[in-house]
Amino acid sequence: MRSLSKRIVELAMKNGACDADAIAISDTSNQLRVRQGAIESVEREDSCGIGLRAFVEQQDGLAFASACTSDISDAGLEQLAGQVLEMARISSPDPDAVPPAGATHPEGVLQAEAESPVWNIEAAKRAALACEKAALDHSNAISNSEGAEAGFGNALIAYASADGFAGSYTKSSLGLSVSVIAGQADAMQRDYEYAEVRSAAELPDPAALGQRAAQRAERRLGASGMASGQHTVVFEPRVALSLLGHLCGAINGRAVLQQLSFLGDASGKRIFPEFVCISDNPAHADGLGNRPFDGEGTRTSRSGLIEDGVLTGFMADRYAARRLGIEPTGHARRGLAGDLSIGPSNIYFHPGELDQQSMIAEIGDGLLVTELIGFGVNGVTGDYSRGAAGFLIESGQITRPITEITIAGNLRDMFSGITHVGNDLTWFGSRAAPSVAIGSLTIAGQG
Amino acid sequence: MNDCGPMSLPVAAETLARTLEKLTPAGADDADLYVQYSQSESVALEEGMVKQVSASTQQGVGARVIKGEAGGYAYTDRLEPKALLDAASAARAIASEGGDTSPVSVHESRPAHRLYSSTNPMLPVSMTQRRKLLEDIDRLARSIDLRVKQVFADVSASFKQVHIIRIDGGHISDDRPLIRLNVSVVVEHKGRTETGSAGGGGRFGLDRMLGGGEAERLTREAVRIALVNLEAVDAPAGPMPVVLGPGWPGILLHEAIGHGLEGDFNRKGTSAFADKMGKQVAAKGVTVVDDGTIPDRRGSLNMDDEGTPTSRTVLIEDGILTGYLQDRQNARLMGMAPTGNGRRESYAQPILPRMTNTFMLAGHDNPKDILASVRRGLYAVNFGGGQVDITSGKFVFSTSEAYLIEDGEVKAPVKGATLIGNGPDVLTKVSMIGNDLALDPGVGTCGKDGQSVPVGVGLPTILIDELIVGGTQA
Repeated sequence: MRSLSKRIVELAMKNGACDADAIAISDTSNQLRVRQGAIESVEREDSCGIGLRAFVEQQDGLAFASACTSDISDAGLEQLAGQVLEMARISSPDPDAVPPAGATHPEGVLQAEAESPVWNIEAAKRAALACEKAALDHSNAISNSEGAEAGFGNALIAYASADGFAGSYTKSSLGLSVSVIAGQADAMQRDYEYAEVRSAAELPDPAALGQRAAQRAERRLGASGMASGQHTVVFEPRVALSLLGHLCGAINGRAVLQQLSFLGDASGKRIFPEFVCISDNPAHADGLGNRPFDGEGTRTSRSGLIEDGVLTGFMADRYAARRLGIEPTGHARRGLAGDLSIGPSNIYFHPGELDQQSMIAEIGDGLLVTELIGFGVNGVTGDYSRGAAGFLIESGQITRPITEITIAGNLRDMFSGITHVGNDLTWFGSRAAPSVAIGSLTIAGQG
Repeated sequence: MNDCGPMSLPVAAETLARTLEKLTPAGADDADLYVQYSQSESVALEEGMVKQVSASTQQGVGARVIKGEAGGYAYTDRLEPKALLDAASAARAIASEGGDTSPVSVHESRPAHRLYSSTNPMLPVSMTQRRKLLEDIDRLARSIDLRVKQVFADVSASFKQVHIIRIDGGHISDDRPLIRLNVSVVVEHKGRTETGSAGGGGRFGLDRMLGGGEAERLTREAVRIALVNLEAVDAPAGPMPVVLGPGWPGILLHEAIGHGLEGDFNRKGTSAFADKMGKQVAAKGVTVVDDGTIPDRRGSLNMDDEGTPTSRTVLIEDGILTGYLQDRQNARLMGMAPTGNGRRESYAQPILPRMTNTFMLAGHDNPKDILASVRRGLYAVNFGGGQVDITSGKFVFSTSEAYLIEDGEVKAPVKGATLIGNGPDVLTKVSMIGNDLALDPGVGTCGKDGQSVPVGVGLPTILIDELIVGGTQA
């Protein structure tokens, strides 16, 4: 793969590019689904693709374009190089365009060996069957199953730049998930549980995972609405992850440059309470988003995005960094298709002191949110309104399941209004969050 | 820019026949090969410059075997015979006990429908012309109002050519053009920043997007919405009457009932609609259809991704639940006929029952009378995305342009708010149906199990007596 990415860069240079870089990804993945104790599907994918970005000199400056293909034959590569150059020539020159040459690359040779598969289909089948069985057997309330799914895969990511840097690394992952239904007819409730880890040894016990999914579905039975009003809201860890997503969207250097962020003026300012810290670490033992270099070959390093509640700066690729007048932060993300984007590697809250139960006891009255649906978040204004389900908190106790409500506010107020960060930090792939309590949100509902 | 006439299959018919034999064990209920070759190009303007020009070429084969409720799938982007045979073996593992099937011969046909052009939609308009189109949009948007600070515009086109070789050797192919133009603006006034966007497209050539003032119309619409939002006040919170405008607000139907009527969820009994066939799920007068056969529409297809011709399926007729959306496997298991709704995002994903163009038929009410009937409520005319929990039936969709209604009159615009309801009963609360059915402008994308496919929606103006509005003003 490394030689493939080098070859396409050479082809681009031969076709008249003044600079170029490329990424090649090969991926093998397996998925197995079981439902009601029988195999429902087995899927296997082998894929390989290459993405090329090429720069050309125009009269008024540098312009570039990018393209990708899954046809890696000689003819396919020739066509890719020709296509990118032709497109680059019609792109607008950008005075701030940053060619790949001169990035701060990692030191030493980064050449990954192709890894052997992390799991096998028989073990995946056993895990999925055990997981679903434990969920279905959990109690009489569990009435149906959407099935359990086990999957595993390996990817090799290779990058090459016309300045001579070439590196590659591998990613492996395996996942197990299950979704079951409690109750009948109009009273049905569904919930799920999942785990995504790097090796089979890290996988939680499939039966325990299944039981947790069943407990989650069962405790939602009998859910009803609640009256509108202002309430303290606790996000459980899987829901609190979404706050990290909204933060990343708003501290994306490109979004800031284009006036698409409600945090455009917030660099160096306190936007969370002092006890909130959020970091991004591209070499984290628990994260699945590790990367030694980013999408333009820039060396990556740990960054404290939020330190003692203060936004330390924006995430930037080399282009955004030049325009913002900061150093590149190694946050260029790159898939095969399209231009670069900006995003974190492994992002996580630093855990607090209290467990969720103690948080709920301290809060007294409010709502524990266990599910959010919909896309009602405006990244430009921070206005926030999403569908929710969860549990009512009364006098420090969880009392009844709640459904068909919305929660609304503004992300700036939500960030600064965090009252508690729990000690129950939970990893979900490349992101981790604990339970997080927010002082006041508007709940709309009926009850 | 890449000339590409009707695709000749990049794999020899003989290789396909051998692969199909290898794939299909005796006793399989179904099997097919799905060969895809697609190209896409996108040109995007931001900050006055055409900064993002990108293209992608995707090719590959999906091999599939179905036996009872189980399916084996294998995907590869390598088209040489050995890779295909390996994929066939992997897919077949699901039903390994059967012996080989008898030899097949491959015979070619075209789908019954000819709903759109089979030429590459990018060809009529050069990259340079596309660049000029976007630059014109940028200039126009900035000239309409000085408060416009940022303009984003992008034009994208794809041409997807699919060949399906079915268990009996039947080979059927479809060439699918798809284009889209989007315009978004950021406006700023007195320290307040808001956005507005508009888009359109369908299954036709880019030349149609350039003529007829479409780009200008979308640009003016994006600026108009952004300026409206600059005046928006906090949205109300709680249950109230909601009037939905015509067209894109039909996303209500997609979320509230469409997903819940997909065959897989009903066969498995996981949908809130699973036991409701033949029962009343909507007010009298409400008729909802899914129609994949409307010419040139974004959600239309000559055939689905299993080679079944698309059709018009009546989901709800005069308030009564009448139909499910079916692919071949779920239809067979439920003893029903496939409806041409088996779709996949690409060769590298399994088939799922999916919507095409989903809309409510027009009623007899004058839209003005509908608004006039509401004392206090919300009038929502544009939406962002939506989502549904098909098991509990709870669904949401989020406004991007909405107004308060006071004493029958449309008043102040309100900030974006999520509306939440319950799919199986929301349509029972429809009390007025307008005579102004409109389909959306060609912007819908539906996600399910991680797969995105283009869809359409449509709605006349309707009044829903009560829906929960998720604003901040409780």
